[in-house]
Amino acid sequence: MRQTIKKVVKYTGVAVIAFFFLFPVYWLVITAFKYPEEWFQWPPIIIPINLTLDNFFGLKGGVYGHLTTSVANITPYLINSTVVGVVTALVSTAIAASAAYAISRYKIGGMRFVSWIISIRMLPPIAAALPLYIIFMRLHLLNTWWALILSYLLLTTPLSCWILLTFFNEIPREMDEVAQVDGCSPFKAFVYVILPLSAPGLAAVATLSFIACWGEFLLALILTSNQQAQTLPIFLGRYITGWRIAWGPLSAAGIINMVPVIIFSLIMQRYLIRGLTFGAVKG
Amino acid sequence: MGAKKILAAMGVTVILLLGVSMAVAGTVKINCLSSPDNADALTDFAQEFMKKYPDIQVEVIPLSWEVLYPRILADFASHAGAYDTMTWDLMTGGACSQGLADLEKIRKQYPEVVDPDYDIEDFIPTAWHVYGMWGEKNIGLPFYGATMFFFYRKDYFQQLGLQVPTTWDEVLKAARLLTKEYNPDSPSKYGISLMFPRTHTLFYMYLNWFGPLRRSPSGIAKFGKVDLDWGDYFTQDKKPAFNSLEGARALELMEELMRYSPDPLGSDYGETLEYFGKGLVAMVPQWTACIASWKGSPALSPYSEKVGVTIMPGGHPVSGGWGLGINNDTPHKKEAYMWIQFATNKRHDKLHWLKYNVGPTRYSTCQDPEVLKEYPWLKDVYIPSLEQASHRPRIPEEPKLEDVAVGTLSEILMGRKPDKLKTLDELASEWMRILKK
Amino acid sequence: MYTRLTAKAVPFFMVLPLILLFLSLAMFPFGYMIYISFHDYNLAEGGSPTFIGVQNYLAMFRDNVALSSIRFTLLLVCTAVPIELGLGIAIALFIRGITGEKVIRSSLLLPMMIPSVVAGIAWKMLYNYEYGPMNYFLSFFGIPRISWLGNYTFAQIGIILADVWQWTPFIFLILYAGLQSIPRELAEAAKVDGASEFEITRFIELPLLGPLIGVSLIIRIIDVLKVFDIIYMVTWGGPGSATHSLSYYIYKVGVSFGWDIGYAAAISLVLLGSIVALTTFLIRMLRLKKSLGFE
Repeated sequence: MRQTIKKVVKYTGVAVIAFFFLFPVYWLVITAFKYPEEWFQWPPIIIPINLTLDNFFGLKGGVYGHLTTSVANITPYLINSTVVGVVTALVSTAIAASAAYAISRYKIGGMRFVSWIISIRMLPPIAAALPLYIIFMRLHLLNTWWALILSYLLLTTPLSCWILLTFFNEIPREMDEVAQVDGCSPFKAFVYVILPLSAPGLAAVATLSFIACWGEFLLALILTSNQQAQTLPIFLGRYITGWRIAWGPLSAAGIINMVPVIIFSLIMQRYLIRGLTFGAVKG
Repeated sequence: MGAKKILAAMGVTVILLLGVSMAVAGTVKINCLSSPDNADALTDFAQEFMKKYPDIQVEVIPLSWEVLYPRILADFASHAGAYDTMTWDLMTGGACSQGLADLEKIRKQYPEVVDPDYDIEDFIPTAWHVYGMWGEKNIGLPFYGATMFFFYRKDYFQQLGLQVPTTWDEVLKAARLLTKEYNPDSPSKYGISLMFPRTHTLFYMYLNWFGPLRRSPSGIAKFGKVDLDWGDYFTQDKKPAFNSLEGARALELMEELMRYSPDPLGSDYGETLEYFGKGLVAMVPQWTACIASWKGSPALSPYSEKVGVTIMPGGHPVSGGWGLGINNDTPHKKEAYMWIQFATNKRHDKLHWLKYNVGPTRYSTCQDPEVLKEYPWLKDVYIPSLEQASHRPRIPEEPKLEDVAVGTLSEILMGRKPDKLKTLDELASEWMRILKK
Repeated sequence: MYTRLTAKAVPFFMVLPLILLFLSLAMFPFGYMIYISFHDYNLAEGGSPTFIGVQNYLAMFRDNVALSSIRFTLLLVCTAVPIELGLGIAIALFIRGITGEKVIRSSLLLPMMIPSVVAGIAWKMLYNYEYGPMNYFLSFFGIPRISWLGNYTFAQIGIILADVWQWTPFIFLILYAGLQSIPRELAEAAKVDGASEFEITRFIELPLLGPLIGVSLIIRIIDVLKVFDIIYMVTWGGPGSATHSLSYYIYKVGVSFGWDIGYAAAISLVLLGSIVALTTFLIRMLRLKKSLGFE
């Protein structure tokens, strides 16, 4: 009897929790498929019956132009977000892994160095935005992928380094020594022995970096000016006009903004779970 | 060695990426930074323009409102020349003037591109001034003419035997009768939909109430005439005018109306538009661009029978709208001028009104029989509104003045500052401090 | 075979990319921020920076909005972070062993993966006064409509709620990962000794998770102190300045209503200083040195 009550409680609890965390996403998704009259109604339409794809492809013969009634022209932004996200994730992981290994094995720089690295993460993006604007302006890199990639490297590398440091600390030094006895230089030991062992950690770190880049808004806003380099979050701004917020197309664009990163993260979640232990839990 | 290969591959990728991200030379390319309100019409016109002039590419870049202005300023300050042409909101005229090109100079430099049918005299004088001039410099061509109007449910008014209101006191009486909470027989749930959020919206909404008081005979006697560049917030001597009995009275009027409105402090354009469009409220002060969405709303159909429009009660609606200007740092001044001249000619002024309800700035549009057939009020309501409109300051300090003002006005309306005059005085001192710097 | 020189050189070159990256891109902004915070420099007014000493810092103390932004940011740290921590731990413990654990786990990760601006849009719709689902669900409990975006207190609660929604999954993820990596033998040995599930949790699992809890606490505190995106999308800092976070206020001062760079830099430094001070204190208190391999 106690077991049944416990089960009921557990499942109800899970249901409530799942509902809380999923409902906002659900609402966004269904709004993207609703007709304009139904975006706001009382009582709210929780289970939509009349579905449409108009918000994605635009109204035919509508009263508004296509810019605010469809997700036209989203492709360049999609490409920008993908390129910047992937390149940053890869490069940031490489740099972080390299540094983390050196710190883990050689304690280079000591605790001070590690503290400095972590402190980079404390810089509020808004504070760095204007000086970065000036730097990139001088380098003629404004409104290019590079401006974003370099800035995002700054944002993602500290955390990646921290996570990988704890990860490498977990891998016993004996592994390095075995490799080196066989005649490898330390660097080769790193690349051919340690890295493969730490695949989950690397995957976790790359995934987190990608998620961070994909959703970054403020720096993209300030450092880019048109579709040559602007990312998806900026694209969402065009639906908030002076006289109406086009909730349907906005949600549609929101979905496109969400889906790739969700799919990617779900695929990688196994690694996220294996990689995010920060080396803290030992037997 | 494996590592070397990896490094080499990375190097090549880097070079490729760098190459891809550099601009490609070719035909003349100009872009036009636009707020979303203007973007649809401008995109249409850009297509036409490119057909007429195949050697010139025009790209319209929509950017959300609050980002547009800082981006323009950043572009001017850094002389990056990222945007060739742009729409600028009328009250940012002063701040933008430093970076906008003098159009008269361009006309003198390239007389061959000046359109003989352009007819500058056709522009409504207020429009030409606020969307085009700063001092002696012609910094833009008027694109979107706008003042706020007062929309109301003709059918509800008829049902209750109400007259169209011309003063805010009359609105107050009507609002009470049209709010179910105070009058169970009301056909609408709320009397009026107001938007007093903590954004620039509040800054201009305030003028709908303060403007009439500022420009009343006693107001003019006390504060002097309204300067078109300093606007209704200031006296003729360029001192704040709102820290006065009139300023406080405007806030009182707004407060009294708030109880007949759904969530005034949390509503902005989108919300008030929805509420009126769904038949939830009977009256709404709004811009003309809402008309397009209301025409498509089932609750408001048939539109001509249900929705009426009149000049803002008090007679001095706040002005809005946009001018089209050219970046001083653009290398393509000639093509840029061709573009903005094209987008603001007689034909397009009429077209952007008919298709998108983007307000006209020319007399020709407002007196055109085809236009008047569908919008008869353009002649009797629109032109007087534009001519009598109240204005926000256009001086360069405007954005900062606006932001501190909005914070204070918002706090007063929330009820957190019971002593209105004292609070307005503090705001006025803050303004003078900002202006002195 | 490698020489001693190579042995010293290798680690140096391995950290070099990171050092170069940070020196060039982080140190310059930091230095520039310090420099310009002592100047009056406004991009909208043109001209070049003029030295004004500590006036920007003094102005901060007179600035009511700056002060209320600090208050709200601290409020967020003191409410949102503990809630996220508590909920995250609870859910991680709660969810173990349930059928469909993997599915639930995946769906719980959703909020933290979607871009903040998209989350902001969703919440803005939910909080609509007349038509929003939030008010709709509340009406089931007989609660009258709440003005989430127009009421001072409720706007703050609204932001706290949205932040909890978005980041509890992050804490959940870390702690769940931690729980997974606790060797099962420990729990089993305890069970053999007659310990109840509750005792196992309390005396074995939670203490082992201690360092992880510390780490996630630090990361979240840093992030909450910097919060910007969700406020920008949902409340635009309003009503009044109810939901201005310090980062948001810096945005307004430095970008949104005129480029008063000097003042923005001064406030940024104050924010940065507080973050650094707070986290250094926390790192020391939680004895993170050990978990990073330095003791």
